Amino acid sequence: MIASLRPTLLFPVTRMSTEPNRTGSWRFVRPVYRFKTAPCSAACPAGIDIPTVEMLASRGQMHDAWVHICRENPFPSVCGRVCFHPCEDACNRAELDAPVAINALERYIGDAGLAARSPLPFSTAAPLQRQVAIVGAGPAGLAAGYFLTQLGIAAEVFEGSEEPGGVLRWGIPSYRLPKAVLAAEIDRIEKAGVTIHRGRAITPDTLAELAARYDAVLVGSGLAATLRLNISGEAIIGDGLSFLKQVQTGSAPAVGGAVAVIGGGNTAIDVARTLLRQGAQPTIVYRRRRQDMPAFGHEIAAAEAEGVKIVELMAPVSAAAEGDGVHLEVQPMTAAEVGADGRVRAVPAKQPPQTMRFNAVFSGIGAEVAEPWHRPSGEADTIRLSHCAISCAPRTVGYIGDPVTTENSVAHAIGSGKQAAIALHALFTDGPEAVVPAVDRCRVGPGPALSLEIYLDGERSHRTIRMVAFADINTDYFSRTSRCAIPALAPAAAAAGFHEAVSTLRPREALAEAARCFNCGICNDCDNCRIFCPEQTILVDEGGRRSVDLDYCKGCGICTVECPRCAMDMEEESA
Amino acid sequence: MSEPINADRGLTYPGNLGCPGCGASIAINHALKGLGEKTVLVIPASCFAIMAGPYPMTALKVPILHTAFASAAVTAAGVRAGLDMRGDAETTVVAWAGDGGTFDIGIQSLSGTAERNDDIIFVCYDNEAYMNTGVQRSSATPYGTRTTTTPGSGWKRTRKKNIMEIMAAHRIPYAATANIAFPDDFIRKFAKARETRGGTRFIHVFSSCPTGWGVASSLSIKIARLATRTNIFPLYEIENGTDWTLNMEGDLPVGDYLAPQGRFRHLGPTDLEQIQQEVDANLALIQERVAATRVRQAHLKLEI
Repeated sequence: MIASLRPTLLFPVTRMSTEPNRTGSWRFVRPVYRFKTAPCSAACPAGIDIPTVEMLASRGQMHDAWVHICRENPFPSVCGRVCFHPCEDACNRAELDAPVAINALERYIGDAGLAARSPLPFSTAAPLQRQVAIVGAGPAGLAAGYFLTQLGIAAEVFEGSEEPGGVLRWGIPSYRLPKAVLAAEIDRIEKAGVTIHRGRAITPDTLAELAARYDAVLVGSGLAATLRLNISGEAIIGDGLSFLKQVQTGSAPAVGGAVAVIGGGNTAIDVARTLLRQGAQPTIVYRRRRQDMPAFGHEIAAAEAEGVKIVELMAPVSAAAEGDGVHLEVQPMTAAEVGADGRVRAVPAKQPPQTMRFNAVFSGIGAEVAEPWHRPSGEADTIRLSHCAISCAPRTVGYIGDPVTTENSVAHAIGSGKQAAIALHALFTDGPEAVVPAVDRCRVGPGPALSLEIYLDGERSHRTIRMVAFADINTDYFSRTSRCAIPALAPAAAAAGFHEAVSTLRPREALAEAARCFNCGICNDCDNCRIFCPEQTILVDEGGRRSVDLDYCKGCGICTVECPRCAMDMEEESA
Repeated sequence: MSEPINADRGLTYPGNLGCPGCGASIAINHALKGLGEKTVLVIPASCFAIMAGPYPMTALKVPILHTAFASAAVTAAGVRAGLDMRGDAETTVVAWAGDGGTFDIGIQSLSGTAERNDDIIFVCYDNEAYMNTGVQRSSATPYGTRTTTTPGSGWKRTRKKNIMEIMAAHRIPYAATANIAFPDDFIRKFAKARETRGGTRFIHVFSSCPTGWGVASSLSIKIARLATRTNIFPLYEIENGTDWTLNMEGDLPVGDYLAPQGRFRHLGPTDLEQIQQEVDANLALIQERVAATRVRQAHLKLEI
């Protein structure tokens, strides 16, 4: 019986995994990847997908970042210089330290695209056998042409002058926007398939011809006439817009010494800073307070730094020639209550009018349409949208750009061109009733910005319109960092000539600045959800898209809390 | 189990029986990333003994040996001896115990193993009470905690045992603290422990327990992160029992960590003040040791 004395190893050994325990049955809430709208992208009148652009830029994928901008805006280098960047005012990062320098990054990415001579990206929209004529090669017209081409609709632009660009070419001085940058971006739009007919001014007669010959006409003639001051002696006051154009063509009159510029908007600032560069000493005369000026704050600050004087609360009453100069009679004003437009009104103060003496006076108080037919005439069957209007009978004629947008900026003009292109595409494919739903469907967040990518059912179309707030950001993952300093010439050096006052970020600064972006509402592959999931239920497919293995997810919610950028939600299980 | 490693899930199987949001689940995921597949785990009585799989199941793709409460360290040393006899020097043997199996019931065999400097890694995943049996206090339960054995006004009034100083006193080659909320630091320390062969290595892991602490399961990582950011659980390493390194310094008051937890909700401002002083003193002590280490190392360099 020796054998029976040999010890038997009674050692229980596991032979199966815990996989049969479907712990997902414990769950009463489930995590879902639900990408949301970043406030910057909803604030961008052109609807650029800013969180994705900055995510790509932070990884050094500048070309991809550029492609993402160009899906929504064919003018990154232009907008990176002249946009008033409402995106930065909406940036959630402001509550942690300072907003991301989105505008400077757009410029960096745009310039990288120009340097690489990359062609504009093309969408895959099926071609429609339709042709649209566009009147005016300003930002709205060129954008409309670009987006129509993207949607498979042939676009031809008719421009009255010999050079396209409109206000970008003639209104914005070259120290803000070098003409070579503008020309290169327009050249790219032409290469993308938009035909521009130069020197083809359109009259009401030729407009009727175009309307008959094309499936639709878009009128984007802008605001080409300066508003009148309606004061006596107006004839001796120079037109600021014409002056800016004359400077561009080299035909501006010589002006020196003390010069007044009447107005408080961007035109007044541009005229004053241009005069400064011509050797004059400009003074802006504005009827309201300095803080009421409609010009962009950074432009006002730059003008003052360069030496432009601002006289606030002075309303011009009359102008009279006096020897070689002009006597400008002004009425001192005082701030009153908030008016119907939400701005503080200015009313005459008790002091009597004063006389100011200048060598010349320019007006830059705003502009209006040059011809009545440049804006919609109010026919009953006009589809009025936030940034454009389209009348469908007897011919399809749409209106885009400054005359129909509530705010006048390059970004709004681009948004207007995009909206009109989407509206026409919907009109051509599904009829007039389809226009409003089509436009509503492609809003970025609550709107009014529109996205072509959403219209084309791209990745962005899956985001919810809910906007990410600062409270949604898990700030455990972000420490305070300083915003990049935007390289600029010293004011005195800038005022000495027409070279650009502000320059492009350097590569290292751009990468660091892009990395400051929270990437609100989207996944940037930080992988926190997967790293911290106790059950390892986060699955990643070959395209990098994540999903939750609901067989095992216990619904703890760690992934959703640890997602730094609110790209996930917990939702209740339906019974 | 000889099936290939699932790249998505690392060395674990889904379906473990841990509570939702369990810190120990996260701890094992991180740990196995640093340890690799050539690992044997020895697990005494603990939550993790259940989570690793009720017989005949296993939740891990590495071999596990279940053992009695008191004997994790010596069993691991025995497995090491067996592997040595078979000529397997590659496999790492890891004892994976809770705070009860380390601070209280396991300390005798742990101390003996450390004194013999047996070639194992001992990991204490510390959730600061006997959670598996119903939240009874352990000697790892911190001052101020309510548990089922320190309920109501009888909340725990003694301090948490300083296990790191005990282990440092054994002059073992490597001891470190790690927190599930800091995965890079965590995985680095496990890899370092694996590479430091030939003696006992000890890792004290901070592992949150939403169930026992009165915290929402979704906040499991958030609360663990606060433990380090308030310096309640500093991250540091001790080499050879004498050379101290502090990995990061917190910047928040202890209230940020204590207030969200049900187990501390009864504490008033004076209690918080007392805990803050204790935490500050403890951090200052670590900093002194770090400074002393630097001075000693600078002298050594001069002598060479």
